[in-house]
Amino acid sequence: MKYIGEAAWIGEAGRIFTSLGFTSAIAAAVFYYMYALGRKSENLQTARLLLYIHAFSILSVVALMLIMLTGHYFEYDYAWKHTSKTLENKYIFSAFWEGQEGSFVLWMFWHVVLFLIFALVRHRFEAPVLMVGLLVQAFLVSMILGVYPLGVKLGSSPFVLVRELPENVGLPWTQMEDYLQKLPGFMDGRGLNPLLQNYWMTIHPPTLFLGFASVLIPFGFAVGSLISRDYKGWLKPALSWTYFAVGILGAGILMGGAWAYESLSFGGFWAWDPVENASLVPWLTLAASAHLMMIAIHKGTALRTAYWMIFLTYFFILYSTFLTRSGVLGEASVHSFVDLGLNGQLMTLLIFFLVMPFSLYAVRYKSIPDKTEDETFYSREFWMFVGALILLVSGFQIIFSTSIPVINKLIGPEGLLKILPENMAPPVDAIRHYNAFQLPFAIIITLLMAFGQFLAYRQTKALSFWKNISLSVGISLAISVIFISIFSMWKYPLYSLLTFTSTLALVSNFDFWLRIAKGKWNVSGASIAHAGFGLMMLGTVISQSNQKIITRNKTYIAENIPASENILLEKGDTLGMEPYFVTWTDTWQENYRRYYKVDFLKEENGSLVNAFTVVPHIQINDRMGLVAEPGTKHYMHKDIYTFLSYASDVQNRNSPDGYGDEMEFMMAKGDTFIVDRYFMVLDSIVANTTRDERTKDIKTIEIEAVIKILTTGGNRYQLRPKYYLDESNIVNHIDATSEELGLKIRFKDIHQEQNKLVFTTWRKLNDGPDFIIMKAIVFPAINLLWTGIIMMTLGIFVSVYQRYKSRIQ
Amino acid sequence: MKKSYIVMLVVIGIAIGAVMATLSDASTYVSFEKAGQHKGKIYTVIGQLNRDMPMDFDARAGIFTFFALDKDSNVQKVLYFKPKPTDFERSEDITMKGYMTDTAFIADEILLKCPSKYNEQNKLSESNTYGE
Repeated sequence: MKYIGEAAWIGEAGRIFTSLGFTSAIAAAVFYYMYALGRKSENLQTARLLLYIHAFSILSVVALMLIMLTGHYFEYDYAWKHTSKTLENKYIFSAFWEGQEGSFVLWMFWHVVLFLIFALVRHRFEAPVLMVGLLVQAFLVSMILGVYPLGVKLGSSPFVLVRELPENVGLPWTQMEDYLQKLPGFMDGRGLNPLLQNYWMTIHPPTLFLGFASVLIPFGFAVGSLISRDYKGWLKPALSWTYFAVGILGAGILMGGAWAYESLSFGGFWAWDPVENASLVPWLTLAASAHLMMIAIHKGTALRTAYWMIFLTYFFILYSTFLTRSGVLGEASVHSFVDLGLNGQLMTLLIFFLVMPFSLYAVRYKSIPDKTEDETFYSREFWMFVGALILLVSGFQIIFSTSIPVINKLIGPEGLLKILPENMAPPVDAIRHYNAFQLPFAIIITLLMAFGQFLAYRQTKALSFWKNISLSVGISLAISVIFISIFSMWKYPLYSLLTFTSTLALVSNFDFWLRIAKGKWNVSGASIAHAGFGLMMLGTVISQSNQKIITRNKTYIAENIPASENILLEKGDTLGMEPYFVTWTDTWQENYRRYYKVDFLKEENGSLVNAFTVVPHIQINDRMGLVAEPGTKHYMHKDIYTFLSYASDVQNRNSPDGYGDEMEFMMAKGDTFIVDRYFMVLDSIVANTTRDERTKDIKTIEIEAVIKILTTGGNRYQLRPKYYLDESNIVNHIDATSEELGLKIRFKDIHQEQNKLVFTTWRKLNDGPDFIIMKAIVFPAINLLWTGIIMMTLGIFVSVYQRYKSRIQ
Repeated sequence: MKKSYIVMLVVIGIAIGAVMATLSDASTYVSFEKAGQHKGKIYTVIGQLNRDMPMDFDARAGIFTFFALDKDSNVQKVLYFKPKPTDFERSEDITMKGYMTDTAFIADEILLKCPSKYNEQNKLSESNTYGE
C-alpha cells in the first residue's frame, strides 16, 4: 500500500546511511588496525576511503534530520515530538538534539569532525587513534540503528514513522492510505518544550558533546599506544588534545550552570544534581590525566598511572551517558531522560570500554616503562601527582553518591543480588552532603595550584622556593582577611581557609607569570588557567556561603517549623524586607510567559525611592505545567536573584481555574435542583446534528441544555452548557460559566436508562485578591565566579595553542 | 616512587572513608508507619496524592496541607511549609523528605513525578484510533 503524502524517502535514505555509517565505521577501524600492525600503505588507503564514506553517511544523516525537522514532516515521530509549525527557525537545532537520538547524532557528528582532522592533516597517529575512535563510533551508530535482529531491539532510529511505533503497529488507522490528511493529530507536531526554547539550549549541548567527543582522542592515543607498543611517543601530541578536551568539556559543564542560574529557578549555580555530577566527574579525572601526562613527559614517571586515569576518564564519560539516558536516575533527578529501552546496549558499551582497555593494560603492564626513583617534596611532579589523586578521590566521592540509584538496582531488594534489605535513598540534604567532602578537596587543590608553579621539575632549592612565594602569600593573606571580615566568615574556618587558598591560587599564579616567568607568552596558559580556577573558587565560596535569602520571614509560627523563606505580595502593597521595601506593580503576558514587575524601593531622606526593578516570570508550559523563571538585578558586586514560588492569577490556590467544590447530579427536563444559593431548572434541551454531504451519515451531534437559574434575590439567569460529539465520536464538553454568579456548569453525560442528564457544577472559590509569593536571594561577588570561569577557559585554550605551536616548531 | 605509594594509600583511605560516610548519610525510602516509629528523624517517603481527601493551601500562613498514600496504602496528613508545588494535582508519585510528628508528616522537600512525555505520545495514538 502507498500512503498518500508520506515523505518516505527521508526515512529510507536515513536508514540506508545509518547502516552504511555503522558498517563503514567497523570496516575502517579494521583497516586502520591492520595498518597499525603491518604498515602496509594500501590498508591505510582503504581505511581512509572507508572513513570518508563513514563521514559522508553521518553528515547525510544530519542533513536528512534537518530536512525532516525544518520541513514539518510530522509523519516522523522525531519531527512530531520535537517540532511544530510555529517553532521559530532558530530553535531547529535545539529541537535536533532535544531527543536522545538527536543527541547521539550530535555526538557522532563531532567525532566525525575530529576524525577528519586526523585523516586530512595525515596525523602521525592517525591509525592508532582512529581505530579506537571508529570502534567507539560504531557503538554509537548502533544506538540509532533501530533494527530488531532476532527480536532484540538494537538502537532507536530518529527516522521512525509514527505509524511504525510499536504501540501503533496493527492499529486500524495505520491501514488508511490517507491517514496524514484525515487525522488531525498529524496536522501539527507537539513542538519543542518551551523550557528549552532558550539560546542556552542552542549552545550548551553542542559544547558539551564536543567535550565528550574530544575526550575520545586522548583515550584513542592511550589505547592505540598500548596496541602498537609505542609507550612514549604519543604523550606530547595527545597532551594538546587532552587540554582541548579539558577546556571544551569544562566550558560545556559550566554553561549548564550558567543556564541554571540565569533562567531556571533551581536557586543557584550548582545544585549537585545527578546529571550535573555525572558530567563533572570525567572532567575532574581528565584534568588529573592531563597532569599525569605532563609528569610522564617531563620526568618519565607516573606513566602507568596516566594510562589508567585516562581509561577511567573515558569510562566515566560513558557512565554519565548511561546514567542520564537509561532512566535509572528517574526518582533522583529533576532532569532525567526517558528510557528508550536501550539499557542493554548502553551496558554493553560501558562494559566493553571498561574491560577492553584495562585488560590490554594488564597484558602490557610489565612492558610499560616506569622509572622508580624517590622524589623530593620540593619537586613539581610530586605535588602534581598528589593533586591528580586528590581530583580522583573528589570525583570518586561525587560519583559514588550519585550512583545510589544504580547501587539499588544492583544490590537493592529488587536488584540483581539481593544484599540490601531496603533501597537506599540519596542523601537528604544533597548540597550539605557534597559540600562536606568537596570543600576540603577544593582547599587542597587550590593550595597545590598556588605553589605548584613555583616548584621546578625534579628539584628546587627550598630556600629560593620560600623566598619566591612569600610575596604572594603576603598579598593573599591581606586580600582574604578583607574578604573574610566584610562577610564575617571567621566563624566558618573551612570557608575562610578556602577563601585564602583560592586567593593564593589567583595571586601566586599571576605573580609567577609576571615576576618569575617575566610575562613570557609561552608559559602564560597554565598561569591564566590556574589563576582563573582560583578566582572561580573564590567567587563560589563567597557567593554561596554568603548567599542571603532576604525574603525570609522573621517570625516563627512554631519552634520546629521553619520560617517562611518567601514573601507574599498583594498587588500594590508595599512590604518591608531588609534593607528594601518591595511592591508588585504590574503584570502582563507575552505568548506563553507571564511577567510580574516587582519594584525594590529604598528609603532616602524619609521618602521611598525606586532602587531597582526585577521582572521574574512564569512560563505557562503546556507540557510541564508552570515553570518559574528568575528575574535578577545584576550589580558589579552582587546579584539580587528573585523568582516566584507562586502566583495566584495563574495557579489558583486549590483548583486549576479558580472553581472548586465540585458537585454532580442528574436532572430530567423540568427538574429543579438547588446548588449553593441558587435554584436550577432544566428548561429545555436543544439538539443539532450535521451530516456528511455525500453519505448523509451523521457527522457531529451537539446537545445544548438550557438551564434557568433563580437567585434568592429573585434575579433570573440562563446558562447553556453543551455536550458535543465530534466527527471521531469523541465527547467534548463546552462548559458554561457565569462570572456574576460564580458558577460553572458542565453537561457531563446522558444517562440513557433513567432518561436523565448528568451535570457537574463548580463554585467560584473566593480566594481574595491576587497575590504572588516571591523568594529573593542576594548572591554577593558572583561576578568573580563568572570572571574566573572565563579566565580559566581562556587560559586552557592559550595553553592548547602554545603546546600545538611548540610541537610544530 | 615510595612517597607516591604512601600518597596512594592515603587516597584509598579517604575514598573508603567517603563511601562509609555516604552510606551513613544516605537515607532510606520508608513507609509512613516506619517514619512514625522514629518521630523527628528525617526519612524519604514515596507516596501518592490521596485525591479523595481535600487539600488546602493557606497562602497567608504559607501552609500547604494534603493527604498522601504510601506504598502500604496508609493515609497520612502531610504539612508542607512552602507554596503548593506546581501541577501538584497531576502528579503520579510524590517523593517527600521530612519527619513525622504526632499530628502530621512535616515535609521539608517535595519532588513530583509527573506523567511522562511518553504518555502524551500514547494519547495521540488513542485519539487516532477513534478516527477509524
